[in-house]
Amino acid sequence: MLNRQRKLLLIDDNEVDLKINSKIITISKLFEEIVLCQSGKDGLAYLAKYAEDPDGLPDFILLDIQMPEMDGFEFLERFKNFPKVVTEKCLVAMLSSTLDFGDITKAEANPHVITLLKKPLFLKELEELLKK
Amino acid sequence: MNDTIIKVLYIDDEENNLLSFKAAFRRKYEVYTANSASEGRKILEHLSVHVIIADQKMPQTTGVQFFTEIAITHPDPIRILLTGYTDIQALGQAINDGYIYHYVTKPWNELELHNSMKNAYGAYKSRLDLKNKIAELEKTNDELNRFIYSISHELRAPLVSAMGIVNLVKMEGLFESSGEYWPLIETCSIKLDYYVQKTLQYYKNNKTDSEHVEIDFKTLIPDLIEVYSYSDKETYFYTDIKQEMPFYGDSFRIEVILGNLISNAIKYQKEDEQNKKVEIQVTISATEAEITISDNGMGILNEHLEKIFTQFFKIKTNHGSGLGLFIVKEALNKIDGKISVSSSSLDGTTFKITIPNVK
Repeated sequence: MLNRQRKLLLIDDNEVDLKINSKIITISKLFEEIVLCQSGKDGLAYLAKYAEDPDGLPDFILLDIQMPEMDGFEFLERFKNFPKVVTEKCLVAMLSSTLDFGDITKAEANPHVITLLKKPLFLKELEELLKK
Repeated sequence: MNDTIIKVLYIDDEENNLLSFKAAFRRKYEVYTANSASEGRKILEHLSVHVIIADQKMPQTTGVQFFTEIAITHPDPIRILLTGYTDIQALGQAINDGYIYHYVTKPWNELELHNSMKNAYGAYKSRLDLKNKIAELEKTNDELNRFIYSISHELRAPLVSAMGIVNLVKMEGLFESSGEYWPLIETCSIKLDYYVQKTLQYYKNNKTDSEHVEIDFKTLIPDLIEVYSYSDKETYFYTDIKQEMPFYGDSFRIEVILGNLISNAIKYQKEDEQNKKVEIQVTISATEAEITISDNGMGILNEHLEKIFTQFFKIKTNHGSGLGLFIVKEALNKIDGKISVSSSSLDGTTFKITIPNVK
């Protein structure tokens, strides 16, 4: 990999998955720092905090779909209203166990989403995605 | 039905008729009367009746006119017309348009009118029953939809977490650390996930309407091979895809069909075969797609050939769910496709399917 990415933001309401995926990514050494958020709201707050200080923004966001209160798609609705520095720097991939066709097409159709990764997360798929 | 008292509204401009109607039927029915169409409408505003009887010949509004009007505002009550003279044209029209259930000639006789009202109530009742049944079915359907959605989310999410943990265990080099236990957990999770996925496929196949999109087999087939050969790199795939013209079909079902067949071709290889291979040929014409999938695997016993498409059929020596080919067959039925199979333990198995090109 040419330039190692710096910061990853993981948004998932499920504590177990948050733990598993952050561990997998830690082992992979693909990122220097992993930030965990347990809700879409926390994720937005984190981004807002660094809107004025783009160096602190995550390079990559892994976003769960099914979350209480604010699901992944609602998160994206708010995300797109952030200034360009934010939306252009932070690449978003969704990470979900969904098999629901509606979810899959919706994720693929969203202009802010690079792809939908399936749980369980396989390192190989993440690596290939980051290469692009 | 016997418990309900039938509510009848009788409209006639002649007061005497109203009185004799009441006298004749008040003991058996809950009788309401009105001496004009507008009076009748007033009653309907406050009260729902089962049967309405109206005289045809009334000043201002005739019976047919009245029925035509209330057919929209009060569609539920069953309408009976009383007519003293034969105004065939108005009557015929009203009956054909469905505004009138029965007509009874004047002067009415008690038995005839009684039967007529009884039948009318029967019609009312069965219409209501049908309506309730439909509402009930819609509710069940709705629940089923939500249940399926929850299978694809809530039920699968923890399973997928478990698979993630196994994944992590492998990455940390602990997979062999507890004897067989981790591999067994992995096998169980994969199996359960497979069942969940097949159940969803089966259900979606039953529910979803066909949607026809253009399908490019030159990309679809390699994609499917990649998905299904992910865990098995030993099998070699030969493909020969002849598609010179557009093909339109139901992409969800075609993926399900081909996916299951490809996954079977991989799963049912001979274990000691050095040269595991699967050949896929596709020929697209203006009328259909002809697809052949052959393997050099273990083959299917002659006596099993007839049963392979039945639900939960599986052979002892293998780890199938008994759902794959059943779903293939069901999906083909939905899109008017056909499948045939030939097999021998020497040469392996060949499935041949044809799917109509719908454009």
